[in-house]
Amino acid sequence: MRDADVIVVGSGASAVNAAVPLVEAGRSVTMLDVGNRDDAYASLVPEGPLAELRRTDPEQHRYLLGENFEGIGFEKIGNTPQLTPPRAYVAKDAERLQPLTSTTFFPLQSLAEGGLAGAWGAGSPAFVEPDLEGFPIGYGDLAPHYEAVAARIGINGSRDDDLRPFLGNLEAMQPPANIDDNGRTIYARYEKNRARVNGRGFWLGRPRLAMLTKPLGDRQPTRYWDMDFWSDAGKSVYRPRWTVDDLRRSPRFTFVGRKLVLGFTEREGFVEVTARDVDTNEIVTYRARTLVLGAGTIGSTRIVLGSLRAYGTRVPIVCNPHTYMALLNGNQLGKRSEEARHSLAQLCLVHAPDGSRRPFTVGHLYSYRSLLLFRLMRDLPLPHRDGMEILRHLLPSFVVLILQHADQPTSAKYCELVDAHRFTIEYELSAGELARNDAIESEITRHLYRLRCMKMRTIRPGHAASTHFAGTLPMSTRDEPLTTDRDGRLRGAKRVYIVDGSVFPSLPSKGLTFTMMANANRIGTAIARSGA
Amino acid sequence: MSDELRNEAITFGRYLVDRDPSEDLIARYIRANEVLFEPGSAADHAVLDFARQHPWSIAMLDASSGVIGGNSLLRKKLLLMTAIVETTPELVERTEPTSVDLPRLALRVGTAGVRTVFNVVSGLVLQTMLRRRA
Repeated sequence: MRDADVIVVGSGASAVNAAVPLVEAGRSVTMLDVGNRDDAYASLVPEGPLAELRRTDPEQHRYLLGENFEGIGFEKIGNTPQLTPPRAYVAKDAERLQPLTSTTFFPLQSLAEGGLAGAWGAGSPAFVEPDLEGFPIGYGDLAPHYEAVAARIGINGSRDDDLRPFLGNLEAMQPPANIDDNGRTIYARYEKNRARVNGRGFWLGRPRLAMLTKPLGDRQPTRYWDMDFWSDAGKSVYRPRWTVDDLRRSPRFTFVGRKLVLGFTEREGFVEVTARDVDTNEIVTYRARTLVLGAGTIGSTRIVLGSLRAYGTRVPIVCNPHTYMALLNGNQLGKRSEEARHSLAQLCLVHAPDGSRRPFTVGHLYSYRSLLLFRLMRDLPLPHRDGMEILRHLLPSFVVLILQHADQPTSAKYCELVDAHRFTIEYELSAGELARNDAIESEITRHLYRLRCMKMRTIRPGHAASTHFAGTLPMSTRDEPLTTDRDGRLRGAKRVYIVDGSVFPSLPSKGLTFTMMANANRIGTAIARSGA
Repeated sequence: MSDELRNEAITFGRYLVDRDPSEDLIARYIRANEVLFEPGSAADHAVLDFARQHPWSIAMLDASSGVIGGNSLLRKKLLLMTAIVETTPELVERTEPTSVDLPRLALRVGTAGVRTVFNVVSGLVLQTMLRRRA
């Protein structure tokens, strides 16, 4: 039995950003996590621009395809195509140690140090008021925490473009990253047609990205090497494990790895947390005055339902429905492509037919340059030889739009701990939801056509593909079991707080990670101030 | 088995990039086959054996397999060889993004398109015969 002021479960984006204000306020914090790391690839990927490595490194197949060719894969595009061999450790052991059953929902889970954000796209838009409809907190509650997190992790973006009303204002923002030729030519066409497309509810601008354009601590600004899916050299893209490294420097912080938390019990004056050592299977108990769960929506929900023995009780789940749209940028056809670029989203679009005060849809445009060409061949009905020839000519103008539609809980989206060992998730979109998303996609396609971007194909990779899981233990003003109050405290518990996506009652059409981090910072700050 | 795979690597290399792959590439192809593939169906093997023995037919069988499902053993093996080619510095000029002016781009895409249509049609006829025989 080891004591701490606070135990934080998990080491992902929300867990670490809840831990920081607690440690800064002088609390002793023990972080429990399995904490898998990349032992195989980090040292294998050389430093340098991707295009240069492709021309010179005879060992590139080891990290581009994987030591066991695991990067080839013959399945269709599914969860996170950016999960390249050097990023695959993010999902290691998760299915084995946290099995779940489903006929409709196959989520990517993580037991890695730093969680799923070890492989995220770094999109960091803030939730503005229309995004927070149904939340018991507003933008004003989150604003100072957005600033604190932005200053901590480094977010770049533009303060001056058309997207400010949709993405929130951040004082702590770094200058926007350079956009590549694809992004530039589309944006130039947008500027020419601005009045026309704005009048139809369409806006375009720079994405907010958790990637440095100026140095921050020991982290370096992006070098535009196009290596962001393969390597973390320079640490320019934020990964929660950078914050774990910072926390480790504090004598008040202890990271305990190889522990899978199984449950908690509230006692008089403290909480007891039970964990299993994943190497020895030994059961270990930890004790603290406060427990903060940040094990990811599915992980935290499993822990709560198991601890309360709420077997057979269905709780809601939401997850942004995910669409890839392959586009050909007519503005760039036949032109040379620059090699100095970053791999993340180049532009952000907003479809808001009712203006910025009503719910709207956000999408991100990527150039398909940083991943290998053969991966496209899997989904193309072309012979490989001609397919390669056609693709290498079209690649400089090939753009992928990623849309993540808003999601609300319904009775057809739920998870349930059937018994101590069986966790199940089922998720279906209603005909109305599907029709709404189709209509939005059609309108966005028309706007993009006006910018000379032609849709080639739409891919819907499956319900869990956005990896934005939320809503299982929602923040609510109603005093109901298996909900949390506005400060993330689990109803019916005195000392248990939840800081991850579980507490979001619904999801707007935006990545939730930045808001999850801000909300975790808010809850961590509140716990520190309350002396809990 | 490894002789068969060796011949396969050479045949597929010639099909994709008009040259024999180096010994390193052949070894990589053989190892990847051992890691990635289970034995395929009789129909898969009939198509694969024919492709190995008659390299002129690969484009047809590849094109038609792409249209009728794309999950055949032949397609998977060609995808593997494409991935190996793409991660080989000496062959980078065959897969690197490139730019040509618009008329030439249209001509190249159009020519490849016409060739693909021809290969799909003739490949479908060939596949039907081979699968019946299997």
